[in-house]
Amino acid sequence: MKQMIMAMIAVFFVSSVQAHEMTPTYPKLEPSHLDGLLVTTMQMFNKRADVEYYEIAVFDKEWNPVPFVTSYNIIKLDYLGKVTFDVYIRKNDRQRVGYICSRSKLRKESTVRTAVTSRICSKFK
Amino acid sequence: MFRNIILTTALGLSITHLSYAQAENVPINGVVQSRCIIQTDNPGTFGNPNAYTLTTSSADGGEDAIIRFDVSLADAYYAEITAPTAFSSSPSLPDTVTWTGDTEVHAVSDATGMGSYETNKIELGMTDKYDLTATGSTWFKTSSTATLGGSKAFPGGNYTALVVAECIAQ
Repeated sequence: MKQMIMAMIAVFFVSSVQAHEMTPTYPKLEPSHLDGLLVTTMQMFNKRADVEYYEIAVFDKEWNPVPFVTSYNIIKLDYLGKVTFDVYIRKNDRQRVGYICSRSKLRKESTVRTAVTSRICSKFK
Repeated sequence: MFRNIILTTALGLSITHLSYAQAENVPINGVVQSRCIIQTDNPGTFGNPNAYTLTTSSADGGEDAIIRFDVSLADAYYAEITAPTAFSSSPSLPDTVTWTGDTEVHAVSDATGMGSYETNKIELGMTDKYDLTATGSTWFKTSSTATLGGSKAFPGGNYTALVVAECIAQ
């Protein structure tokens, strides 16, 4: 009985591993069908059961915000869901754009605990 | 006539057997891209050893946050982990909170390539920055302690503080 409980606890901890992933590491900007805009395509995978929403942001090399357009700045991504999204940036910003980041958005919890917010940033080279 | 029937039957059977012997190769395709994956192995819990302290120390009933970074390209990412500096949700507090916290390497998948991560880290306040120079998995452990000013008691309620784990392409 004790072994069974230990096994159940072990399974719980293994299954509670939660991950956030965004690719590619080094995206490339390409001309888009819209005049004056460049586009890059990103992919994100949500293996965090505690997260449903991710916020997209674009920064220059000094971490100042850069204007951009996506279908949604905050993307709903269900557990184990994968999403491909386009990020549009002005041609004028091509030289200064540095990073595209996705950041997990957490809900308020009802326990005394810490929580981990994850952010992954890809870099324009 | 009888011989012809036997031959025809044998030929039919051999064709049937040929069809059984056919094999189909079904390709499963995949592309391995360079990537960084942030995994939350344990989000951590605060213990409450006395009225004015919340801490993740296991000696006081808490749990440190354990965060795992998986990297498939060497020298391509920095890991930046910031211990909490405020509550993201809490009851109204009667005084200011003093925060202490630290991050350290908890375990590595490649002792040779990752052995120097802890000694080479850069500490910027509550943020610890690691240069992920090797491929594989690194587990980081973040501790946090919140102390309420004037030794006043934390009001009853729910408290949450955020550890920020970032993986930034170099």
